[in-house]
Amino acid sequence: MTAAALLQWVLASIPEIIVVIGACILLLVGELVRKGRDELLLWASVATVLLAAVATLMLAGEMRPAYSGMFVSDRFAVFFKLVFYLATVLTFLLSRKYAEIEGIGRSEYYALLLFALVGMMIMASGIDLLSIYVGLELMVLCTYVLTGFLRKERRSNEAALKYVILGAVSTAIFLYGVSLIYGLTGTTQLDRMAEAVSGGPLDPALLLAVVFIVAGLVFKIGAVPFHMWVPDVYEGAPTTITAFMSVAPKAAGFAVILRVFLNPLVEASNAWIIVAAIAVATMALGSFVALVQDNFKRLLAYSSIAHAGFAIFGVVAGGQDGTASVMLYLLIYTFMNLGTFGAVIMMRNGDFSGEVIEDYAGLAKFHPGLALLMLLYLFSLAGIPPTAGFFAKFYVLVALVERGFVALAVIAVLLSVVAAYFYIRIVMVIYMREPERAFEPALTPLVRATLAFTAAGTIGIGLFPAWFLRLAQQSAFGG
Amino acid sequence: MSIPLLSLIVFVPIAGAAVLMFMRSDDAVRWTALGFGIVDLALCIVMLAGFDTTTHEMQFTEKYPWVPALGITYALGVDGISALFLFLTALLSLISVLASWVAIDRKVKEFMVSLLVMQALMLGVFCALDLFLFYVFWEAMLIPMYLIIGVWGGEGRVYAAFKFFLYTLAGSILFLIGVIVLYFQGGETFDILALTAQDLPFGVQSWLFFAFLVAFAVKVPMVPVHTWLPDAHVQAPTAGSIILAGVLLKMGAYGFLRFSLPMLPEASLYYSTLMLVLSALAIVYGGLLALAQDDLKKLVAYSSISHMGFVTLGIFALNLRGLEGGILQMFNHGITTGALFLFVGLIYERTHTRSIANYGGLMKAAPVYTAFLALFTLSSMALPGTNAFVGELLVLSGGFAANLAAGAAAVAGALLSAAYLLGMYGKVALGPASVSAKYKIHDVNGREMAAILPLAVFVLWVGLYPRPFLGIIDASVRNLLVQVHGEGSGQ
Repeated sequence: MTAAALLQWVLASIPEIIVVIGACILLLVGELVRKGRDELLLWASVATVLLAAVATLMLAGEMRPAYSGMFVSDRFAVFFKLVFYLATVLTFLLSRKYAEIEGIGRSEYYALLLFALVGMMIMASGIDLLSIYVGLELMVLCTYVLTGFLRKERRSNEAALKYVILGAVSTAIFLYGVSLIYGLTGTTQLDRMAEAVSGGPLDPALLLAVVFIVAGLVFKIGAVPFHMWVPDVYEGAPTTITAFMSVAPKAAGFAVILRVFLNPLVEASNAWIIVAAIAVATMALGSFVALVQDNFKRLLAYSSIAHAGFAIFGVVAGGQDGTASVMLYLLIYTFMNLGTFGAVIMMRNGDFSGEVIEDYAGLAKFHPGLALLMLLYLFSLAGIPPTAGFFAKFYVLVALVERGFVALAVIAVLLSVVAAYFYIRIVMVIYMREPERAFEPALTPLVRATLAFTAAGTIGIGLFPAWFLRLAQQSAFGG
Repeated sequence: MSIPLLSLIVFVPIAGAAVLMFMRSDDAVRWTALGFGIVDLALCIVMLAGFDTTTHEMQFTEKYPWVPALGITYALGVDGISALFLFLTALLSLISVLASWVAIDRKVKEFMVSLLVMQALMLGVFCALDLFLFYVFWEAMLIPMYLIIGVWGGEGRVYAAFKFFLYTLAGSILFLIGVIVLYFQGGETFDILALTAQDLPFGVQSWLFFAFLVAFAVKVPMVPVHTWLPDAHVQAPTAGSIILAGVLLKMGAYGFLRFSLPMLPEASLYYSTLMLVLSALAIVYGGLLALAQDDLKKLVAYSSISHMGFVTLGIFALNLRGLEGGILQMFNHGITTGALFLFVGLIYERTHTRSIANYGGLMKAAPVYTAFLALFTLSSMALPGTNAFVGELLVLSGGFAANLAAGAAAVAGALLSAAYLLGMYGKVALGPASVSAKYKIHDVNGREMAAILPLAVFVLWVGLYPRPFLGIIDASVRNLLVQVHGEGSGQ
C-alpha cells in the first residue's frame, strides 16, 4: 500500500468525498443560519452537488478502480451519477417554496438529501456486494427519515413506519442472499463470483442466492411483488421527497440490478425468466391499479411502478442495447417525472393541496402555459411521440426485439396502452372540465426554472435523441 | 432542387402555430391561421407544378441523419400517390379553418394551434420516407386530434375523445412492434425504399401483414374495428369531422399502399381475398347502418365506412383499375365527405339540431345551400358526371375482375348509398317547411361560399375530366403492381 495508490483511490472517489464534506458542513453550520436566510442552505447544497458533478466529469475519461476491488469509477457509474445529480438539484430547486409552505426548510432536510445522494453514488460505483450494501443502507436510512419529515402529519409518520419495517425486511433478505453467495463462492466481489462458477455445473443453491438478492433489489425499485410500500409512502411523504424517491433511488436500484445482472453468474442461472415475469407483473399491476386512483400522488406512485416494469424489460433484454435502453429510460424518466411532480408541488399553496386529480379541473382556462406543460409531461409519460417518453420506450422495445423477445415486446406495448388511459384522463380533467375554483400556483422563479428545464429535456430528447442515445450506449458496459 | 420544398410544406403550419401562440385577438388568430393555410396550399401547388408524372421515383427528396446509432434518418419525398394527398390535406385544412370561423367561439387560439399542428403532422405522414419518422408523425397526430374532439366537441365529447385515442393507440402500437421487427429483418434500416426492396420470407410477411393490418384497419376504419368512428365524428366540431373524414381515414389506406403492398407483396396477395371480404362487409354493413340513422352527422359517418370499403376493395383487387380507382376514390371521398360534413356543420350552426326529423323544406329558406347540398349528395352516391362515379366505376370493374362476389356486394352497397342519401336529401331539402320554419335560417354567406366552391370545383373537375388526377398516380400505381406481382405485370 503506497501513498500513490492511496491517492489514486481517493481521486476515484473525489465526488463522493465532496458531497460528504458538503453535507457535514451543512449539518454543523446549518443551524447557525438565521431565519429568513434559508435560501443560503439551498444554494450551498446546490453548489455542493455542482462541485461534485464537475469532479465527476473530470474523472470521466478513464476507468478508475479503487479500494481493493470494492469500488470503481467507470463510465457506467458516471452516467448514473449524472442522473442522480440532476434529480437531486431539481429536487432542491422544487423544495424551496414547498419547504416554506410546509415549514420544513431546515438544514437536516438538505443534509439528508445529500447523504442519500452519497449512498446512491456508492451504489452506482460499487462492484462488491458489500460496498453496494453500504451504499444502499445509507440511501434508504436517509429516505426513511425524509419520508417522515412532516412530523405533525399522521400520514407522513405512518408512511415512514411502513417504509422502515418493510425496508428492513427486504434489506435482510438481500444480506442473506449475499451470505449465501459468499458461502458458495468464497467471495462477494462481482468479478470473482463469475470466476468461481465458470466451468463447473451450476449449484442450485446459487439460484436461491440470486433470488434473494433479486428480491432485495426489487423492493428498492418498487416492482411486484415488493411494491406494496410504494403508494403509501409516496402519498404520505412530503411531495418533494416523493418526487425525489420516484426518480433517484429507483435509478440507483437499477444501477445495482444492471451491475449484478449482467454478471455471468446471474446470466448462467437463467434468472431472466424470473425477471421477465417480474417485468410483466409489475407493469400490469401498476397500469391497472392506476386506472382507479383519484389521488394524484397515488396515481403517480402506480405510474412509477408501471414505468419500473417497462424499464425491467430492458434488463431482460440485456446486452449493450438492453443496458443502454434502461439507462436512457431512467434519464428521460427523471426529466418527465420531476416535471410532473414540479407541477403538483407548485399547486400546493395556502390550504390548496393539489393532491386530488379533480383539483386540476379547468386548469387550462386560467393557466394555459402550465396546462401545456402538464400536457407535455403526461403525453411523455404515456409514451406518445414526439416526446422523450416515446423514444425511451422505443429503445427498450428495439433491445427486446433484437434479442428475439417479440412476445414480451407485444405485452409491454399493450400494457402501455392501458397506462396511456390514466395519463390522458388527467389531460381531460385539465382541458375539458370547467374550473371550480381559482388557482394560485406557487410560481416562484425557482419552480419556473425547474419546469422550463424539465420541459426542455422532455421535448428536446424526444426531438434530438441522437446525442443522449450515444452517451447511454457508450456508458453501458457488456456488449 | 436546392429549396427543401417538402420540409417547408410540413413546417409552415408549425411556424404558423408558433406565431399564433403570441397573438391575443381572436380575429387576428383566425386571419393568421388562414394566411398560413393559404401559403401552405400554394406551396403544395408549386410542388404539383414541378412534379414529374412520368416516373414512379420519389421526387423532391431530402435526407439527413437523425439518430445515426439506430439508422434513423429524416427523409422526405413524394411519389404520385403522396403528392395527391399532400394537396388534399392542405386544401381540407384550409377549408377547416374557414369552417371554424364562427363555429369555434371559445379558446380560438388553442383551436387554431391544434388545427395547424394537426395539418403539419398529416402532411408529414404523407411524405415521410423513413419508417421511424412516419411513425412519429402518425402517432403524434393523436395529441391534437384528442384535444380537438375533447375540448371543442359536443356533449359526449370526452367519451368520444377517449375512444378515439385508445382505439388508435392500441392499433398503432402493434404497428410499432411490426416496424421494429421489420427493422431487424430488413438489415437494420428504417429507410422505406430500402425496406421495400427487401425480399422477406413468407412467414415474416404474414406476421407483419396482420400487425400492420390492425393499425391501418382501425384508421380506415374497417368493420369490425369501426366503432370509434361514429362517436368521434358526431362529437367532433365540424373542422374535426372534415379532417377526420377527409384525411385521417385516408391514412389507413395510404398505409396499405405504402407498406403492406410493396413490402409484403406475397402476404398481400395471399390474404387479398380476406381483405376483399372485409371490404365488402364494410360496404354493405356501413350502408345498412347509414340507412337507419336520424342524426345527419351519424348518417354521413356511417356512409364513410361504406365508402372507405370501396377504397380497400379497389386496393386489394390488386389490379390496375382497382388500384387507380381506389386511390382516386380516396381523393374523392375526402372532397365529397369533407363537403357533406361542412354542410351538416353549416346547418347545425343555424339550428343547433342534427336530427333529420327536425328538417324539411330547406329549399325555400336556403336555395343556394340546398343546391350545393344536392351536388355533393349526388357526388356521394356516384352519379355520372361527378367525381365518385369515375372512382367507383374503376373500383367496381377492378373488383369484379378480382372477385365476383365482392363486386356484387359493392354494387349492392352503391344502391344502398342511393337509398339513404336520397332519403336524407328529400327529408331535409324538400317537403313542407313546417318544422324547420321555427329556426331563422339564412342562406350561405361569402365566407361559407369560399369554403364550398373549391370543393364543388373538384367534384365536377374529377367527374368530367379525371385524366390529370389519374395521370399523377399512374406511374406510381404501375410500379406498385410490379412490386406486388413481379415484372411484366403492369397491365
